[in-house]
Amino acid sequence: MNELKQICKEALTEKKARFIIAYREDKNKKTKPFIARTPEDAEQIIFNHQAVNNLAVYFPRFKNSGEGKIGIVVKSCDLKAVTALIQENQIKRDDLFIIGVNCSGVVRDTTMEFSNDNTQIKCKYCQAKTPPYYDELAEESKEFEMPDDDQAELMARIEKMSSDERLEFWSAEFEKCIKCYACRQVCPMCYCEKCIVEKSEPQWIDTSSTARGNFSWNIIRAFHMAGRCIGCHECERACPMDIPLTLLTRKMGMVASSEFGYRHGMSLTEPALIGTYSTSDKEDFIK
Amino acid sequence: MEEYIVSLDNLKKIADELLNNHCRVIGTTSENKFKELNYAEELVLNPGAVPTSSSFKEFFFPKTEPLFFYKQNHSNVDLFNPIQDKSKIVIIGAKPCDAASLPIISKVFNWDYKDDLFNSRYDNSLIIGMSCHYSDEFCFCNDLGSSPENMKGSDVFLKPLADNYFKVVSVTPKGAEFINEYQKYFEKDLGKNKSLERKEENPKHFDYDKVKTWLDNNFENKFWDTAGEMCLGCAQCAFVCPTCHCFDIVDEQNGSCAGRRAKNWDACQFSLFTKHASGHNPRDNQEKRYRQRISHKFKYYMDKFDEVLCTGCGRCSRGCPVSLDILQIVEEINSLSGNSNSIQ
Repeated sequence: MNELKQICKEALTEKKARFIIAYREDKNKKTKPFIARTPEDAEQIIFNHQAVNNLAVYFPRFKNSGEGKIGIVVKSCDLKAVTALIQENQIKRDDLFIIGVNCSGVVRDTTMEFSNDNTQIKCKYCQAKTPPYYDELAEESKEFEMPDDDQAELMARIEKMSSDERLEFWSAEFEKCIKCYACRQVCPMCYCEKCIVEKSEPQWIDTSSTARGNFSWNIIRAFHMAGRCIGCHECERACPMDIPLTLLTRKMGMVASSEFGYRHGMSLTEPALIGTYSTSDKEDFIK
Repeated sequence: MEEYIVSLDNLKKIADELLNNHCRVIGTTSENKFKELNYAEELVLNPGAVPTSSSFKEFFFPKTEPLFFYKQNHSNVDLFNPIQDKSKIVIIGAKPCDAASLPIISKVFNWDYKDDLFNSRYDNSLIIGMSCHYSDEFCFCNDLGSSPENMKGSDVFLKPLADNYFKVVSVTPKGAEFINEYQKYFEKDLGKNKSLERKEENPKHFDYDKVKTWLDNNFENKFWDTAGEMCLGCAQCAFVCPTCHCFDIVDEQNGSCAGRRAKNWDACQFSLFTKHASGHNPRDNQEKRYRQRISHKFKYYMDKFDEVLCTGCGRCSRGCPVSLDILQIVEEINSLSGNSNSIQ
């Protein structure tokens, strides 16, 4: 942990970054995002199993806020969001100072200690405990027990459902939605300056939390995430109503992978799936 | 006055009778959520439980409700009033930080315009509060003049006793009437059941008067530049809050010639909240919006309605995706107020 602090301190002292988006612990030992602007601030920087937030979500707010690089502490999974944002031309690699951390898994429930039962599902599928690229690397990687994928079973069950049963399943889930838009706000890939629900001339999507309004919102968000979700699971963690949102985004990612051999946020040079056309793309869905 | 106790079983019997009398009975369930009960057995009363993730405000101030429906009729427009559920609402097992919210928000719903939708539900309700035996780092009811035993907002108040019994306190005339109506389920308190006390007192975190004075004088303080800078601008905090009451009014079309006008929850952390039709937005960044949230709760509402717009339940902090902690923010203001009241 000292190593991470040291790297950040040096980066700020030597002006390699004008500030660093990182994690700190508050007085209740709760890990939370903060901005380190001075070498003194960097003293507070930590990384641990509770460092759940995907800090790439803060880029849109800071990207035009001054001269110099933006520093960011990233886990391997968060780096996919950084890569995806570069692929989607939202930010330039040269504008970033990336401090990668070797991650040994993060918790699902931040009120409890890290354990095999309290590890995010995404950690099971994490292919690189060390971020694939970075400007500096900190933390020692520790082996940890892989969590069970309790979502896979539910996903298989939903796949077997008839369309009516599926409608019933999702209607019950979306009914809980209160339209707080925490899913959108924590998502690093939801960066539209004006979300479709905020477009009122005409009003495309009902803003009310009615069955229709909730369904429209959650389905349109899932569509906008098709093949774009990088799997940080922040939407589901943030949802105060416990809607299993990653079932949708994860399934879409699986379809993008099986149908187009594409996974978002994996390559700085590969164009984004949603913005490209290939002659080898399947056309059998056009009937 | 006669003192009563009631068993959990008998409370459930009362709930059953209420349900049979077509009341809407709201209680906490095994999932620790407020729910409109279908049957009394769903009711779980646990004074030691963490406050439910959402408050019960939706039963008085729903997340969406129609104001009227419209339908085009040749060159005229016909308006239709929505059918209102006039059933009596009974809340069972509200914590003091829940119950206290109703008289607080009732003030804003009855200030200049009398909000019939809220009033028709609140006036026709009965709140059965219960002492709270829970405390964590997010709780701060006793910093706001309340306490885990506070009866503000309750009509009847339950104090846990041993063996699933509760001591019954009649708080309002409405509460006394209720106890009288269901007399057969209440027993005389012979002092046999040991009372279950809270294990420890809640710590005190800040001096509200100092915080208020600081807020009165420091709208432009540089503290605000960083206080809310990590806020992502969602409405988790506002929508789970028992006292946040802002709403938006929208027209929604259903088909080409019909639709409804609805009243929906809104929140000051949304960027659109203060955006004018001209395009100008007086709260054009998250830092300003966060200052508004804190100031509305701890200053403006006090100035206008003589109440703090917060009951110290800690829901907003427990659920915040980026762990913004309202108590720590107010504690920081408290420590700033010790230094100076001047504008920096």
